Amino acid sequence: MASQYGIKLAVYLVSSYFGDLVAKVCECLLRRGTLPWRSIVQFTELNPTQVKNSLLVLIQHNCVQAFAMEQEGVFGEAPKVVTQYMALFDNIIHHMRFPKFLAIVSEELGKECEEILEGLLQHGRLSLNQILDRHKETSNQSGGNCTAQDALQKNFSRLLCVRYVERCPAHEPFIAPPNEEGAAVKKRGAKSAKVTEELQTIEQRALAAAAPMEALRFLFETYTETDDHELESEENLSNMEVGQKRKHVDSEAGTNKRKKEVLWRANFEQFVRRLRHKACIENARTRLDDGAAIVLSAILEASRSSETKVKVESSIPLSMNTIFEEVMKSEDGRIMTLEHVRTALAQLAAISIDETYSVDLKSIIELAQNEEVESIVLKRYGREAYRMFRLLSKAGHLLETDKISDTTFVEKKETAKILFKLWKDDYLHMEKIVASAGRQSQFLLWKVNKHSLWGHVLDEMYHAALNLRIRNAHEQEQEKEILQIPREKLVGDLEKRSKRLRKVRIVLESSLMRLDEAIMIFHDF
Amino acid sequence: MSRSQETLSLKRKRPEPNALALTPENVLLNLIKSKGDMGIWKADMKRETNLSEPVVTKALKALQGRNLIKEVVNIQNKGRKHYMAAEFEPSKELTGGAWYTEGNLDKDFIDILKKSCSKIIGKFKVATAQGVYDFCKDNKIISVDITTQQILEILRSMVLDNEIVEVKSTGLGEFHKIPVGTVCYRTASGMGLGQGPKVGAMASIPCGACPRINQCTPDGIISPKTCKYYQKWLDFGI
Ligand code: SF4
Repeated sequence: MASQYGIKLAVYLVSSYFGDLVAKVCECLLRRGTLPWRSIVQFTELNPTQVKNSLLVLIQHNCVQAFAMEQEGVFGEAPKVVTQYMALFDNIIHHMRFPKFLAIVSEELGKECEEILEGLLQHGRLSLNQILDRHKETSNQSGGNCTAQDALQKNFSRLLCVRYVERCPAHEPFIAPPNEEGAAVKKRGAKSAKVTEELQTIEQRALAAAAPMEALRFLFETYTETDDHELESEENLSNMEVGQKRKHVDSEAGTNKRKKEVLWRANFEQFVRRLRHKACIENARTRLDDGAAIVLSAILEASRSSETKVKVESSIPLSMNTIFEEVMKSEDGRIMTLEHVRTALAQLAAISIDETYSVDLKSIIELAQNEEVESIVLKRYGREAYRMFRLLSKAGHLLETDKISDTTFVEKKETAKILFKLWKDDYLHMEKIVASAGRQSQFLLWKVNKHSLWGHVLDEMYHAALNLRIRNAHEQEQEKEILQIPREKLVGDLEKRSKRLRKVRIVLESSLMRLDEAIMIFHDF
Repeated sequence: MSRSQETLSLKRKRPEPNALALTPENVLLNLIKSKGDMGIWKADMKRETNLSEPVVTKALKALQGRNLIKEVVNIQNKGRKHYMAAEFEPSKELTGGAWYTEGNLDKDFIDILKKSCSKIIGKFKVATAQGVYDFCKDNKIISVDITTQQILEILRSMVLDNEIVEVKSTGLGEFHKIPVGTVCYRTASGMGLGQGPKVGAMASIPCGACPRINQCTPDGIISPKTCKYYQKWLDFGI
C-alpha cells in the first residue's frame, strides 16, 4: 500500500493529466485497493458510464490493470467470474518522469527513437500501425513512403532491442481464487510453496499472469494470436455478470482465436533500471572518483542484457578481461591502465570470487539513502544532531546517552536535549532502562530505526513533491494573463513579471526533478 | 533529621572521646572514603548517615579544613555539592573524561586538535591514528599531553562530521605504506565525501526543513500556495 502522500501525489498527477473524473476513480482504487466495477460506481457515486470511461483511460495509460477472478455466488447462486481493477501506483508516479525517460532515449538512441517513445508515452499504448500513422502526421509525409516506414521500423526494433519498449500485458488475465491456490500449494510441497510465497498477493499474481511471456515480450512481430479478451472485457464493463458467456467463450477458445494487432508500450522497468545505474555511477563519482565511476559504468553496461529484475543486489560477476574491454570502449576509459582499473575495483569494494568481480549495488543505494536523510537532519536540527544521527545510523544498534555525548563531543545535557528532539519527531527510537543498583537509576538508549524512518521520510518527500507541483501550478495560474501576452508586448513591469515567472518555473521544476531522484532512491531502486 | 537522633549521636560521643570515636566527622570521612573515586553527594551523605544538615555542613567544613576531603564537580549535575577523599582523583564518570576541564567540555582544545588532525591528514592524504599521533609528537604540534586514544576519538568525530573518511587500507596506490586491512583516515578523493555534508534534494527545498510540514495541506491554512517559506525562496528580487 502506498503512503498517504504518495497517494495524494498520484491522484494529483492523474487529475492534471486526465481530469478530475478519472482522478476520482483512481483515488478510489488507490485508497480502497482492488475493486470490481460495481463497487467503484458505488463508492465514487459517479454514473456507470463515467466509471467505465475513466477505467478505460487508466488502462490505456497503464495506470490500472484488470483481471478476472471467480467469486463465490451469494445466496446459493453459482459462482461467477468478476472483473477486478487494481491501480498501479508506481506506473502513475512514473508519469512525472517521462521527461527523464525521453532524455535517456534521446541520448542513447537519437531523435527518431525519442519521437517514437514520445508517442507511446502520450498515448499509453499503440500498435505499430498507429505509431506509423502518428509519424506520418508529425513529419508531414504522405503515405506510402517506404523508406520512411522502413526507417521507423528499424528505430522501433532498436527500442525493442534495448528493451525500452515492450508488448502490453494481457488485458484481463484469469486468476484462480486465493483459497483454491492455497490448497494447491500445500499439496505441491515446500519447494513450490516458496515460489508462490514471493507472489503472495492477488495483485502480484494478477500482474504476473498478465505479463507477456519473456520470449514474446520484446519480440518484434506485429500480429498475434489472441483470445480477444479486449472486446470481451468491454462487454463486461456494461454487463458484469457474464460468467456464463465467458465459460462459453473459454470452451471454444481454441477456435475463437484470431489475428490481432499487437499493442506496445514503454517499458518503465527498463527505464527505472537505467536510472538506478546512473544513480549508482554518480554516487561512485562523488564518493570516490572518476575512475571508480568509469569502471562501475563499464560493469553495468557489460551486464546490461543479463539483469533480470530492477533491484538486483550486486552486479553480475565479470572477469577482469571483460571489465577492461568494456572500460576501453568509452572515451574516458581509454586512458585507464589495468592497474588503475584494479584500484577502482578496490575502491568500489568489488567482491572477487574466482577471478570475477561483482559490485554491491544495494549498499551503494543504501549509502545514498543515508546521505539524503542525514542531510535533512543537518538542515532541520543542526550540526551536532547530524553527528549524533550519523553515529547512531552507523552503529545500527542501541547506544546510551553518555556514550553518544563522549563520541560526538557534545555536553551531556545538550546531548540529551538534542536526542529528545530527534526522538519527538520520530527520527530516533528510544528505550529506557531502569537499573536497580548504583546511583544513576535510569539509562536512556537510542537508535535509528531505519525501516520506519525511511518510510516516514519517503512520505514527506512525496508531500514535498506534491507541494512543488501545486506551487508551480499556482504561480502559472496567478500570472496566466502574462502568459497570454505576446512576447514583444512584454515591457517594463510586465517584462519583469514574465522573467520572474520563468525563473520560478525553472527553480520549481528542477527542484522537483532532483527530489524525484531521491524518491526513486527510496522507492524504486 | 530529628533532634533526638542528633542528641543521641552527641551523647554517644562523650563516652568514647578518642580518635576512632563515631564523631560526625569520622562517620562522614569513612563514608566519603568508602566511595573512592566516585565521591558522594551531600544529600546522599545525610541520607546514609541520618545526620542533620547543619551537622553535616559543619563536619564537611572541618574535614576540608584539615585537607582530608575535597569538593569536586560532577558533570552529571553541576549544581550538586560533591565530595571526595583527598587521596583520590575524580573518576571519568564525574569529570566527563579527558575532554572536560572543571566540568566543562573543553571545546577550544577539541577544535585545535581537530584542525591539526585535519592538516596532518591533508598533508599525508592517508594516515592511521598512530601515524597522526606520532607526527604530533615528533613535531611538537600539541604542547599538552595527549594519548593515541584521544587522537583516535578526535578522528572518529571528524568522520561523523564527514570531514574525513574512514577506510581500510587496500595496500594499493596511496595505501602502499600501510599494511592491508589497517583502519586509516583519508581526505576525500571524490567531490562529495569528506568535504562536509552534501546537501540532499530534500534539504535544498523549503519543505525539507519545514517545521510545519505536518500541518501543511494543499488547501489548508498552511499550504504551498500561501507558504511564507516559498515566498522567500522564490523572491529573486526581480
Ligand atoms: S509548502 Fe511551506 S508550509 Fe508547506 S511544507 Fe513546504 S515549506 Fe512547509
